[in-house]
Amino acid sequence: MAEPGIVFWILAVVTVASAVMVVTLKNIFHCALALILCLFSVAGIYILLNAEFLAAAQVLIYVGAVAILMIFAIMLTSNLASKAIRQSNEQVMVGTVVSVLFCGGMLALIYLTDKAIVSEETGVAFWRQVRGTLPADNVASLGGYLMTKFMLPFEVVSVLLLAAMIGAIVLARKEKA
Amino acid sequence: MDFTLPQYDPFRMLPEIFMLLWALWVFTYDLITKRQKEAAVGYMALIGPAVPLLFIVFYLTGLLPESWRYGGSGFGAMFFNDTTAMFFKIVFLGAAIMAIGSSFGITKQKIVNHRGEFYGLLLFSTLGMMFLASSNELLTLYIGLELTTIPLFVLAAFFKDDKLSVEAGVKYFVIGAFSSALLLYGMSFLYGLSGTTGLVQMKMNMAVVFLSYRDIGVILLGGIVLLVAGVGFKLALPPFHQWAPDVYEGSPTPIAAFLSVGSKAAGLVAFGKIFVNGLMAFFGPEQAPNDWGMLVGLLAILAMVIGNVVAIRQTNIKRMLAYSSIAQAGYIMIGMVVLNEHGMASVAYYIFAYMFANMGAFAAVAIFEDQTGSCQIEDYKGLAKTSPVFAVSLSLFLLSLVGIPPLAGFLAKYKVFAAAISMATVDPSASWLYWLVGVGVLTAVFSLFYYANVMRLMFFSNEEPRHKITYSVPALCVLLLGLAGIVVFGIYAEPILKLVRTIPADFGLYIP
Amino acid sequence: MNLIPIVAVELQPIFAWIYRWLEGLGLQGTLLTVVVYAGLGVMVFGVLAVLALFLVWWERKIAGHMQQRFGPMRNGWHGWYQTMMDGLKLLQKEDVLVDTRDKVVFFWAPVICFVAAFLAYVVMPFGDGLIVADLNVGILYIMAVTTFTVISLLMAGWGSNNKYALLGGMRSAAQVVSYEVPMVASILTVILFTGSLSMVDIVESQSGLVFNWFVFRLPFGPVAFMIYITAATAEANRTPFDIPEAEQELVAGFNVEYSGMKFAMFFLAEFVNMFTVSAIAVTLFFGGWQGWEFIPSWIWFLGKTFMVVLLLMLFRWTYPRLRVDQLMEFAWKILIPIAFVNLIVAGWMKYAGWYW
Repeated sequence: MAEPGIVFWILAVVTVASAVMVVTLKNIFHCALALILCLFSVAGIYILLNAEFLAAAQVLIYVGAVAILMIFAIMLTSNLASKAIRQSNEQVMVGTVVSVLFCGGMLALIYLTDKAIVSEETGVAFWRQVRGTLPADNVASLGGYLMTKFMLPFEVVSVLLLAAMIGAIVLARKEKA
Repeated sequence: MDFTLPQYDPFRMLPEIFMLLWALWVFTYDLITKRQKEAAVGYMALIGPAVPLLFIVFYLTGLLPESWRYGGSGFGAMFFNDTTAMFFKIVFLGAAIMAIGSSFGITKQKIVNHRGEFYGLLLFSTLGMMFLASSNELLTLYIGLELTTIPLFVLAAFFKDDKLSVEAGVKYFVIGAFSSALLLYGMSFLYGLSGTTGLVQMKMNMAVVFLSYRDIGVILLGGIVLLVAGVGFKLALPPFHQWAPDVYEGSPTPIAAFLSVGSKAAGLVAFGKIFVNGLMAFFGPEQAPNDWGMLVGLLAILAMVIGNVVAIRQTNIKRMLAYSSIAQAGYIMIGMVVLNEHGMASVAYYIFAYMFANMGAFAAVAIFEDQTGSCQIEDYKGLAKTSPVFAVSLSLFLLSLVGIPPLAGFLAKYKVFAAAISMATVDPSASWLYWLVGVGVLTAVFSLFYYANVMRLMFFSNEEPRHKITYSVPALCVLLLGLAGIVVFGIYAEPILKLVRTIPADFGLYIP
Repeated sequence: MNLIPIVAVELQPIFAWIYRWLEGLGLQGTLLTVVVYAGLGVMVFGVLAVLALFLVWWERKIAGHMQQRFGPMRNGWHGWYQTMMDGLKLLQKEDVLVDTRDKVVFFWAPVICFVAAFLAYVVMPFGDGLIVADLNVGILYIMAVTTFTVISLLMAGWGSNNKYALLGGMRSAAQVVSYEVPMVASILTVILFTGSLSMVDIVESQSGLVFNWFVFRLPFGPVAFMIYITAATAEANRTPFDIPEAEQELVAGFNVEYSGMKFAMFFLAEFVNMFTVSAIAVTLFFGGWQGWEFIPSWIWFLGKTFMVVLLLMLFRWTYPRLRVDQLMEFAWKILIPIAFVNLIVAGWMKYAGWYW
């Protein structure tokens, strides 16, 4: 794997900055827009990793469906419109400490894996070792695996979606008196 | 690339396929009868878990003809029916039957418009647990876990007008989504290390990686911490337990019961499959780069102490049972960290005994709540005078939860502690298990305090009882089923013990 | 970092010449890629801007003739540079701003709308080898980036702080999310037979006789096309599905508070979107740029696309607007079931081999 280029750093900064905006901005509509930006730049990182299908699916599902429905819900909720909302409560300090610890742990993990876990024979760090090659058409091979080796989980997901849909209808439905 | 369909045999998924179709039929039945036949829908839903349960029991007892080869691989490495799968499916189906049986009251009074959906979602959740029990692979396991929890989010919030129920649903949903994210993150570490999602393959690949890099401790530790946190939330192990009392209090009581038994057993299966089966190669005196056992043992101690201590202060019986179930999860985790031929066996037996006792206790609470609308422990005062059967059976369930002989709960606790001691005496590096056993015994004695408090109020209170309990047929059947379970399997446990003895082999733990 | 393969540069001699010329200037590596892509971007943008100007004029002429009048006649022959003059006028106009607007959102909405309209042309095969990048997720990429149009409309609706605008934005979101389902289902019917998401592969799988065009694959081809064109009309917010900007009910919907150049951006984007959905229809169902070889491929592509655009314009001036509830009912209760049945039939026929 090559060193990350400038594109990666731009995307990374945008992702993190917009993610922070999601939890700090006062206007909930702005938060939703920042979330869209965050999800979109994550899709950009997927493209850098040669996962075009994942990137397209990310934009299609998260930006195209989830985020739009969120904005829709914000618009339909009265008393939420253009009101400054406090995003934190009395547990904000605990939350900050936990997230900073988690983030630090993950960074340490990445650093240590890169520095400490190195093959004795080749001298290549574990994370940098290239294992296997990318299929020429990874969309086709993804589809192929979903229809053969991973067909059972693929089918069970449909049951899962059915359950989620029925549940959503039950909860959202207006009851007759 | 190899795009061939793996060897598959739909016959081995027969119970699952039946459950799926039956759940769809329950939805349809409620619709075509125009939501009029309240009890019929419930009885209809009871068939859903009952038929697969009978099927599996018949298979295990050899009553099915040889040609009905149910055990074995159903879909390549994705679906596998071993003894573990079948045994836990029995537990899930039993819990589902008892949950459905004890929810006739609320579907009559409170859930007017969505009886079919209530039962159908319960069946869907059970279906997810069954897939989970048969999964031999991270992807199926995760999807099974999601299929288990997503209907339960809805079921927890099923009383839409009740603030507590809505709170329970939202809380459970947020916690569930959060823990799933942690779980997936952890799984991605395991996948990155091993390059496969199959649990058995994962173990072998990781050994290869370990040999060429000597030390992969850091990244594996990261994965383990995330996975423990993810499953810990599902199991309500402290410090990931705060959601449990609120969710149990707010949800419909049968759903709280199902959460505390079915969902907990599902989390245990997931835990066992990932850790005991997938990561066991990294446990033992000579390699031991990641002693996940110590970590889990610490959580188990926390669970037993916090669960039992906080339960004392509760005035709401559902909250009390919630803390009690947190503590019970601690006892179960003792068995989980014992990696010899007794460990998983004791876990299996414990969860079996726990199912009867806890489902029974919650069923009693549900009966009481249906008639009085109250969950306060105070309201149980003097019940022994008016409703002796109720008081005696609730007491027996609670005594089984404490672990009083000759009830099944005693044998379960004994098995777990014995397994831990058997490991600790053989392996000097596992001597910390003595501590677990010590804390377990102490807290078990301590727990008698709050369980006995309920009994004291029912039997020895001088106040006049405020309520008299009458029983509906299904609720009475559930009570009797629970009683039969804890009494019969406490005295004559040999068939179950014989069955659970083969379970450790499924997790790659040898049998001498 | 070469993210995307440059098909056009390799195939067209003129592009190769420019490429060599740029290399002669001393450009290399990433910088060369950036310059080439910037150049390609400007080119596509220029072509489309001219096209959009033409489409606006054409629409007005068609509207005029359908209503037995002439449409614009003053500026040039049959008013051919009428749109340019309109554009100049809009440029000069004062940018009227509402005080209560949400400043950031109000500003970015037209920009996003405008950019999103052009994003799809990255993978659009204008001719044989005339494509900016042949992504292997081609059509899925288009589906993904077009969703930004909806977000821009929602932003415009919200940022204007106006009830009509808000209603328009909400309607557009509901509409586009609903109609995306039958649209994707009908596109899937095509994908089923090409076995690839790449736009080039889709075009090439329809080569040969005219009967190889997907729209002539009986019985599911025409059905898929009709579902697509219905859903595409809704996606492009055009009559009879133009409820987001329904003049009579919502004044002008989401863009009611916009004026000057910001309005022009929405306006142009709408026509570019119309051209986009038509171009996709041509690529998927009418063999893309393929035709008799004595006519250049890009003329085939543009000609076919203009025919589909003409169809959309005829729709607009023929049908009355639907009501909101009718619109949603039509999507969920009629279009989606038909689309799925069609997909199942197509899949079954593919499996059984009953097609040519």
